[in-house]
Amino acid sequence: MAYSDKVLDHYNNPRNVGSLDKADPTVGTGMVGAPECGDVMKLQVKVNPSTGIIEEAKFKTFGCGSAIASSSLATEWLRGKTVDEALAIKNTDIVNELSLPPVKIHCSVLAEDAIKAAIDDYKKKSGN
Amino acid sequence: MKFYEALDLVPTLALDLDDLKKRFYDRSRQWHPDRFSRASAAEQDQALEMTAILNDAFRTLRDPVARAEYFLKERGLDSSRTEAPPELLEEVFELNMALEELRDGDQSARGQLVEARDRFGAMLRSSDDQLTDIFSQFDFSPSDDTLNTLRATLNRRRYIANLVRDVDKELHVHSAN
Repeated sequence: MAYSDKVLDHYNNPRNVGSLDKADPTVGTGMVGAPECGDVMKLQVKVNPSTGIIEEAKFKTFGCGSAIASSSLATEWLRGKTVDEALAIKNTDIVNELSLPPVKIHCSVLAEDAIKAAIDDYKKKSGN
Repeated sequence: MKFYEALDLVPTLALDLDDLKKRFYDRSRQWHPDRFSRASAAEQDQALEMTAILNDAFRTLRDPVARAEYFLKERGLDSSRTEAPPELLEEVFELNMALEELRDGDQSARGQLVEARDRFGAMLRSSDDQLTDIFSQFDFSPSDDTLNTLRATLNRRRYIANLVRDVDKELHVHSAN
């Protein structure tokens, strides 16, 4: 199966790979997995508590090229968004941007789940 | 369930592999397309179709994991969109990080990887034992709870099998250098 140019670009030059301090109260961490393929994805956001804006987003994904590209793209989109705007990101936006084929749609679903899990974690930690 | 029907089997999770093989050979002979060379076009098509189903059925049912996945799918419990336990994800993530270190040439991770291979190998074997137990439990007394347990066990096994595969590959690459 051929990957789109955008997937290849994110796969070869992933943006924002790395991790943030899990113990930092302004950092939310989402760890999700897809049992059908065995992928694991960790996505973290650092939120400015006074503005509610995501100032940093990092990810680390062990999985196929589409899973890496989906999470890389997600971190690009997250930066500069408010927490609520981030929650509005849909997996279909990722599918369209990366031209993912039907068999790889679950990779974009995983990225959406990771965003939601990271923001949930931040909200729990900050108490709202 | 089509694959069980093709072999005249009652759908059970546990199967006798010798019996399965015998049924497959018997029915494959019976439906062999060569025996239908003078038959009508419709009969020839049917023989071809049955042969294809028998091949798929045998390939799927002889492997306990593939069989269980098929069984669950037929019962509406396929693997997509099921959750993995967080502790397992953390563990898988950490081991993948260690693997990546070795891939980058840090030999100090090697001992950790050999240890990990042994540990994950043991986890895989214990998963297989669990599957065997769940099979007989369900066949003896079918329940949705048991099927859900089977679903969770198969999901976990997939992660473990991937890890075993990745660790083996990494250790192999490094011993070859």
